[in-house]
Order: sequence, then structure tokens, then C-alpha cells
Amino acid sequence: MLEIKDIHKSFGKNEILKGVDLTIDKGDVVVILGPSGSGKTTLLRCINFLEKADSGKASFGELKVDLHSASKKDIQAIRQKTAFVFQSYNLFNNKTALENVTEGLIIGRKIPKAEANEIGKKALDKVGLSDKYDSYPSQLSGGQQQRVGIARAVALNPDIILFDEPTSALDPELVGEVLTVMKNIANEGTTMLVVTHEMSFAKDVAKRVIFMDGGVVVEEGTPHEIFVSPKEERTKKFLKRVLPEDYTFYI
Amino acid sequence: MSEGLNYKFLVDTFFIALSGVPITLFVTAVALLVALPLGFLLALTRINQIPILNRFSQVYVSFVRGTPIIIQIFIVYASVPLILTAFVEKYNWNIQIYEINPIWYAFIVFSFSTTAILIEVFRSALSTVNKGQLEAAQAVGLTNFQAYRRIVIPQAMVVALPNICTATVNLIKATSLGYAMSLQEITLKAKVAANVGYNYVEAYLDIFLVYIILCSLVEFGFKLYEKRLRKYKYVSA
Repeated sequence: MLEIKDIHKSFGKNEILKGVDLTIDKGDVVVILGPSGSGKTTLLRCINFLEKADSGKASFGELKVDLHSASKKDIQAIRQKTAFVFQSYNLFNNKTALENVTEGLIIGRKIPKAEANEIGKKALDKVGLSDKYDSYPSQLSGGQQQRVGIARAVALNPDIILFDEPTSALDPELVGEVLTVMKNIANEGTTMLVVTHEMSFAKDVAKRVIFMDGGVVVEEGTPHEIFVSPKEERTKKFLKRVLPEDYTFYI
Repeated sequence: MSEGLNYKFLVDTFFIALSGVPITLFVTAVALLVALPLGFLLALTRINQIPILNRFSQVYVSFVRGTPIIIQIFIVYASVPLILTAFVEKYNWNIQIYEINPIWYAFIVFSFSTTAILIEVFRSALSTVNKGQLEAAQAVGLTNFQAYRRIVIPQAMVVALPNICTATVNLIKATSLGYAMSLQEITLKAKVAANVGYNYVEAYLDIFLVYIILCSLVEFGFKLYEKRLRKYKYVSA
């Protein structure tokens, strides 16, 4: 459904992405792992045109675009098919939780307000915030804000949701509630591309795991393949650092 | 020589000064109507580092900020007629240059100087809105224009408003310099009245009163508006 070909991106002299390919099928949950600076976030941002790639192609079903020179119309079309969950939530501070969710529906997709409110309330119910429709972001905890962020993405009913380290900015005790919500929507068959440092999520929920380092995909496979029998030296080194010594993996 | 204040003159002149308020407000309003959109657009060129325009705004701001308004008034009041004369002679326009109402010069000077102030006000206000707000808006499918109008500008306005209020009040006070080009505003009217019997102290007190009333009202209006805009920051859980 989503296919990315040979994407390159540099910031100044610093080459972040050195030719990454990626294919995601409908209903897949794909997790990208890798050390800081390996280009995971940049890859995600390039897919949604929050950064402009230096070169690369993307195809979204029928829609084929050049990631460097896509027209405004194509960018808009791709953004209509995707949704993005940010590391720092980025909820609209001047809007209530419900308005945050409906903004893209009413303004971006021209859905009538009453219908958008229905969809928005359903999305907020799904993330367990039925009592927070009218709260402003400043009144919500980090975990609640990120759940609104996820509801905002889900409500758009996109072909794919891109998650950029959705739990990295959260206090440890709030991580669980967000991961639970993510697991729930994954189980509903939502296509997800997730950059995360939560190994448990990668193991339990991912269908495929991609390990990136130094701007390239080093290795990819099922969680079992990556976590139990990684082939590449770099993958082994990384997992050794992030997983406890005596960790045993069951599937 | 009269002893103490001439109270009758004080009261009469108060109303004469008050009759200058419409001109003062008119100049203020026109300057703001020009400066608000222009200042905002030029602030955007600064924030987004648009080549040339960015540089232009920067130089423009330092020029206006670095010169006293009274000098700007002298320059415009002296040079614009000269420039116009050249045009009138060249194209045979039918304009009596020395009969032009000075309010036009006031419009020019105060629009120019207020624009420079507001560029800086909007630039600092826009930079307080996290880039993530714009990105999130784009990600949910809003166009840049929609994102600015619905998400970025409302948040920037809350920050900008106190400074816009200051700029407006400063502008109202600065129009008093319009007397230098015989603009029929508060200060000039009261001063002219005082010239007759040398009642300057009374006239200055009147001017003082009119400005303080006017500026307090404007500040009060801004406060009310700000309270409404800030709603989302004040509500408590």
C-alpha cells in the first residue's frame, strides 16, 4: 500500500538518510528501531512532507509522487491519506480536546460539523477520554494529551498512521496508557508505522521490525527474527545495549 | 496677569482639546489599518527568512526605530511636496500642493513608523508559537493559510496583544507631534486657544487630561479583548 524508494536527505553536510526503501502492506504494524541519529524520525517526517527529502519516490496505492518535487496538490493528497502522532503531542493549544480532533475533519476534509463532532467523540471515547471533550491541552496530563493526539489521528480514518516516538516525552508511569491505546488500534487492523524505543511494543504488536542505523536499513524481519536471531553485528550490539542481559524472548 | 488658574478657560479649552480627538483617532485608526496587515506580512518574511524582503524589513525597522518621529515628520512634510512638485510639473497634474490637508502627511508618517514597531511585535509573537503547532495543522490536512489563520495566529495574538496595546497608545501620544505640520489634533487646538491669552498652563493641563482619558479607555478596551482571547490559558481543570 505504501512504498518508499531510495529516499535521501541531508541537513547541511550531514547526510541523515542514505537511500532507504520501505514497503508497508495494508494492516501492517511496522516498528522502526535504531539508535539516536539513525534517521528514523527524519524518514517519518519525509513521508509526510514535514521535511522535504532531497530525492526519493513514494507510492500510495494509485498515487505516485516524487518526494523532492511533489506539487502542493500531491502533498495535500498524501497528507489526507496519512496521519501523524508527534513526540511532543503538538495539540492545538487554543482548541479543546474535541476541537483538536475535529479540526482536520471540518477544515481539512470539509465534513459537516455535526458529523465531525460525532466522529470526534467516538475517537476520544476509544482512547478513554470520554470525560475530557471540553478540556484544553493545558488541563491534560502528558499521557492524556498524547491520547488526544492519537484520537486526532484515528478520527481522520487515514490509510496509515505515522507515530514518531509517541511515548518518549512521557513520564514512565504514563507510558503504559498510551501503549495500551496504540495496541488497541493496532488490533483493529490500523496500518501503523511506529518509531519507538519501547521494545515491548515492538515485540508484542509489530508484524515487522526494521532496524536502522547511520541512515540505512540494517536489517528487517519479524520481531522473532530481529530480537532472537539477529544476523547483523550492529543489530546485536544495539539490542544488547537496550535489552537486559538475561532477557529471553518468547513468542 | 491673572492670579492662579483661569478655571473658565480651563473648562472651555478642555472641550476645545476634546474636539481634536476625532482627528487624533482618525490618524491612529488609519495608521493601524495600514500597519497591522503590513507589519504582519513583513514579520512573516522575517520569520520565514524570505530573501530580500527579510533584509528589507530588517533595514526598515532599524531606520524607523533609530530616528525620532519628529524628524520623520519634518522629512516627510518637507520632502513629499518637493517630490510632488516634480511630478506635477512633469505630468501637468492639477493639484495645489500647498493646499493638501496635512492629515495626508500624518497618515504617511504614522503608518510608516507604526509598521516598523508592529513588525517587531508580530515577529516576537509568532516566534513564541512552537513550530509543532504548524506541523500538526499541516499533518491533519490544513493548508498553510488555514493553519496560520486558525492555529498559529490566534495563539500569537495572545502574546502580541499587550504589545499592540502599547504601540497603539504610543501612536496616540505621538500624533501630538502632528502640530508640527499643523494637523488639527488635540495638542494643536489647545495650544492655539492658549495663544490668545497666554493661558498655557491651563491648556497643557487640558491636553494632559484628554490624553490620559483617551489612552486609559484604549488600554481598558485592549484588556477586555485580551481576556477573551486568553480564555484557553486561564481555564482551570
